[in-house]
Amino acid sequence: MPTYTDMSRCDGCGECVDICPSDIMHIDPVYRRSYNIEPNFCWECYSCVKACPQNAIDVRGYADFAPLGHKVRVLREPEKGVISWKIRYRDGRLKEFAFPIRTTPWGSIKAAQDYGKPDMSALSSQLLAHEPEALHIDALPTIKRA
Amino acid sequence: MFTNNPFAAVGDLLPMQGYIILMTLAVLVGTVFDMVHKGSGTFFSQRRKRSQAAALRHLGGGETAALALATIAEAAVSGEFCKWPRRISHLLMMYGFLLYLITTVVMVFAYPASAPTPTILSTLWTIGALMILTGGLWFFFFLRVNVAYDGASPFHLGHADLFVGSLIVSVAFALLWHYMQTTVGYTAATWILFGIYIFFTTLLFVSVPWSKFAHMFFKPAVAFQRRVEDASGCSDLPSPSTENYIIRS
Repeated sequence: MPTYTDMSRCDGCGECVDICPSDIMHIDPVYRRSYNIEPNFCWECYSCVKACPQNAIDVRGYADFAPLGHKVRVLREPEKGVISWKIRYRDGRLKEFAFPIRTTPWGSIKAAQDYGKPDMSALSSQLLAHEPEALHIDALPTIKRA
Repeated sequence: MFTNNPFAAVGDLLPMQGYIILMTLAVLVGTVFDMVHKGSGTFFSQRRKRSQAAALRHLGGGETAALALATIAEAAVSGEFCKWPRRISHLLMMYGFLLYLITTVVMVFAYPASAPTPTILSTLWTIGALMILTGGLWFFFFLRVNVAYDGASPFHLGHADLFVGSLIVSVAFALLWHYMQTTVGYTAATWILFGIYIFFTTLLFVSVPWSKFAHMFFKPAVAFQRRVEDASGCSDLPSPSTENYIIRS
């Protein structure tokens, strides 16, 4: 389901343009609001839906999922770590469901450059970057041989 | 520079009262044309009827008035913007424009050439113009979303810049013209600056159907309609989640 922008909600902040991995969210030259320039190329990752602070980006459902005349709306609640969906079918039925999207606060994940530079001994370590603290454990489990 | 009425000496060349009435008419006609041409009036009336039909409960007069007040309060602080630089820039332009517009109208209608103008009016006029320039230039070169996020040059000019561009240039030339008439009097250069100021001011008010000038009327109307839909239970947004999934810091 490719995304599209509800221009009456969009405030032109540019978050979706910044985050779109397919680079198809751009700024309309007349209204200076975002729009999906090529829905066929949408990866349907919904990064823009999750990043939009105004809940202005929705998806256009395929006919087998929600037939013509339907409406799919998305509510983003980063403070609760959840994205909720509401589908209004053309016969008036409603379906709502919520997806948890993360368990840590929005913006709390550190970028690679925010960590200290590793020393050469890290090359001979079995641990991957930021392990084991990033896994919230004291140490990785090991197999004890008899 | 801050103390004299800039419009006192132009009455012989251009009757400013007639000009302001013409520009007001241009904004009214332009907004109506915009609504009819784009079908926005029809769209929102259909949306209103649809939401009234789908409403789970009907709102009373007091509740509707409270929603209208909340909408005005939000618009007064530009609460619809999620980023503080854009919010501050918008507030500077909005209140600067109001100050500039009101003092212009008062100086032109209440203090024509012969009447002495209170200093406070021209001071407020200049402060309003400076506020527009500060917010406008900040927005134009650094905050425009096509510049900040879409890779456009800070000097890029497009259709979307018609409103903010004509506003900035009009105000900049108003200040230059005021400065020139105060310091060197009415020379040819002063009249040229006045001509450029009037050209861009006319462009600002006459281009309403093609620019985003009318957003100051539409945006609060849409925000109010959205609040009514939320309160009457017919919003198309999902219900807020009852669970909090953030379990780690």
